Amino acid sequence: MVLAKDIFKEFREHSVSEFFRKNASMLGYTGKIRSLTTVVHEGVTNAIDAAEDAGILPSVYVAIRSMGEGSNSDHYKVIIEDNASGIPDEYVSRVFGRMLAGTKLHRNVQNRGQQGIGISGGVMFAQATSGQPTVVISSTEDSDEISYNEVMIDLNNNKGEISESRKMEGDWRGTRIEFEVKDVTYRRSRYGPYNYLRMTAIANPHVQITFEEPDGSLTFFERATQEIPENPEPVPPHPAGIKADGLLDLSERTRSRSIGTFLVNDLSRFSRNKLEELEERVDVDLDRSPEELNWDIAEEIVSAFREMKFMAPPTKGLRPIGSENIERGLEQILDPDFACAVTRSPEVYRGGIPFIVETGLAYGGNAGDSSGSGDTGLEIIRFANRAPLIFNQGGCALTSAAQDIDWKRYEVDPESTPVTLLINIVSYHVPYTSAGKQSVAEEPEVYEEVRQAIMEATRKLRRYLRKKIKKRERQKRANLFENYLPIIAKKAADLLEEEPPEIDDLVRKIAGVENGGEK
Amino acid sequence: MAERSEDPRKDAMEELKNFGRDILKNIKDKEPPRMKIPSRSTSNIVYDEDKRFYSLAGKKTTRTAANMRQVKKFAQTLCAADFCKDLIEAGKSATLREMYYTSEGWPTGGFSSQDRSDRVVEDIESAFELKREDLGLLPEEDGASIFGDLIVREGDMEVEATEAGRAGYTIPPTMSDVEFVECGAERVLAVETMGMYHRLVQEEAWDTYNSLIVALKGQPARATRRFLKRANNDLGLPVYLFTDGDPFGFHIAMVVISGSAKLAYINHELAVPDAKFIGVTASDIEEYKLPTDPLRDSDIKRLKQLLDDPRYSDEEWQKEIEKMLKIKKKAEQQAFSKYGLEYVVEEYLPTKLGLN
Repeated sequence: MVLAKDIFKEFREHSVSEFFRKNASMLGYTGKIRSLTTVVHEGVTNAIDAAEDAGILPSVYVAIRSMGEGSNSDHYKVIIEDNASGIPDEYVSRVFGRMLAGTKLHRNVQNRGQQGIGISGGVMFAQATSGQPTVVISSTEDSDEISYNEVMIDLNNNKGEISESRKMEGDWRGTRIEFEVKDVTYRRSRYGPYNYLRMTAIANPHVQITFEEPDGSLTFFERATQEIPENPEPVPPHPAGIKADGLLDLSERTRSRSIGTFLVNDLSRFSRNKLEELEERVDVDLDRSPEELNWDIAEEIVSAFREMKFMAPPTKGLRPIGSENIERGLEQILDPDFACAVTRSPEVYRGGIPFIVETGLAYGGNAGDSSGSGDTGLEIIRFANRAPLIFNQGGCALTSAAQDIDWKRYEVDPESTPVTLLINIVSYHVPYTSAGKQSVAEEPEVYEEVRQAIMEATRKLRRYLRKKIKKRERQKRANLFENYLPIIAKKAADLLEEEPPEIDDLVRKIAGVENGGEK
Repeated sequence: MAERSEDPRKDAMEELKNFGRDILKNIKDKEPPRMKIPSRSTSNIVYDEDKRFYSLAGKKTTRTAANMRQVKKFAQTLCAADFCKDLIEAGKSATLREMYYTSEGWPTGGFSSQDRSDRVVEDIESAFELKREDLGLLPEEDGASIFGDLIVREGDMEVEATEAGRAGYTIPPTMSDVEFVECGAERVLAVETMGMYHRLVQEEAWDTYNSLIVALKGQPARATRRFLKRANNDLGLPVYLFTDGDPFGFHIAMVVISGSAKLAYINHELAVPDAKFIGVTASDIEEYKLPTDPLRDSDIKRLKQLLDDPRYSDEEWQKEIEKMLKIKKKAEQQAFSKYGLEYVVEEYLPTKLGLN
């Protein structure tokens, strides 16, 4: 006879995996390689954010270890360790066990952790595939103890459960997470964790990453700058970009007493003058309480906004990587012969959403080779708010803008020239094509801006390449004469059975003349 | 150009040394080494009406070591010159193919194809008016077969052209080294095919007509042409050319008489302008009622070209070509066997040679 509690236990486990199956693609857990990359992404994002929040230069250790062989070879342990300020015990179950906990959904702010549902997604993926809890080892600044906790998610209650907890002695600060996952594959492909970390290191030159692959090999992505980026600032929504539901949502959290003051206080670039202008355009009493704002009123206000003119939204909240730091990142990680970068001025799409596009180009060294295979060409690496976009490359405006460039005009053969092109779009609201958040929609302003940014960087690369080509040709010419003129002298002398004459001066003279006077 | 002596190899050596001397002078004067080479492009090849053969007009190109596209070839030219000097000194010969392979070991590196190494040899030949044989370089193919009253010396070997077997004395590629010792023949009778050669040898035509029978074996090799030239020049023998009655036969005869455009730079050593064509003509086809083949389209096209070719401008050629185009027929030299194997020797040739 089957006991009821066993049936329910099974039911609960089913529901966890079912939740995943249903939402897998939206959450980034789809496919054996991508799922592993997503787990690494969630852990690393968490680690970097934690360190930045604490004002600490992030050092992240990532290890992927094989747990099974043969038919079980899709079983791995993923370890992510940071040097941030640690997590007090009482927050562990909340941070790791609760879906959507601590996200920045309600802030109009540029953020890195835009993929999936955060670190708890990793916990749930581990639980759903291997049935094992996630190990969280953490210690805070002022503690001489290290906490060891095993976390599982009680999905019914959307709550973390600590299944085991103990203390260890030790003088260490940071957080170490160990996920045990199945149904994943480790591969050093463009889509795998290696390339994800490499891209992260390039776009976050203040971060140091140590990576241990399943075969035990270690890669150090060294830090290229000691500057911790400033935290992005929340910026109120701009009237031109807001929609009715957004306005309603905003009104629920306002402290203003009238709709009018709510608009002035909680929107950017909405002045008293604009309020007067709005009053003439709508048939709504703006002195009423924001609580009385309903869909119809919100819609009327928003459509009035569409006919009004506003100053462009403030861009002080946007935090580009900065061209210097992009160059540093490219130089550090790719060791190229040449690197350049462009950070464009802020622009606006859909009339009110500000964004900044940055591009970087690296040539030579390890550029153009995403998997370390030595097979080079034009490699496009995409980022949104510094976070790598690895998947859905095809349907992305960043990719199509790059592919629409006539590269040959810039001395680049996309099939063979070792070039890495970095594109980073910075915005509070990146126009993703889908919930998977791996590709940017073809907003005309975004596409055009990306195109301009690529061309600006590419022109710099072209200058370098043309110089290089010229120099190479000059060198080739000089080599030609240095090689053959002495042979001519020697053979001419041989015909007469004499000693070969002195020819160095003549070689210099001829090689010089051929070089248009340059010696 | 240095004075020419009796010994072409010694002359060649002197020219090579002069070449080296010129280059060393350039270097001493701090000038880029350079050499002048007669242009062998078609625009510089002319039919010389006086000499009656193709030769090069005066245009020369200057190869300079200060040009990045020429410096390697320049160095290879000197390597080739030095290679030839060593051959001459050692009294040896090498084929063009052997030189091509040897060039792999030169400090300049080798050539990408034998074509290119052959062209460097042609450069040296034309720049210094030397023959490759004199430089110790041989073409691959042997020359023709000779049967008749002739004794030659090759080194310390004397050969009688009637004692070298039925296939006769074979002209070596090193024709320059062959010395004529004694000749009792009164003329040279050169035939297109080995088949006709054997017929004439068997019928003892060499003896009957006191001729050197020479088999051209199709388009004659350089050595064969050089032999005909020397037999005509040095031995004073008239040369008769007996070929098939078709455009290719005419061409074979004309290459002997006027030289080819490709070897225009050396034709003064090869062409035999006084050689006489006694091959099958359209008139012969009619007169002897020879078995024929119809002209092919390509034959007709070729014949029409010959009508405009300055080498065929004399009245006799014009008449015969026109006639062949009219009857649209061609015949091989062996077609005379219709009347018996001996017929060609007993009837046709004496008539053509004016001995009847």
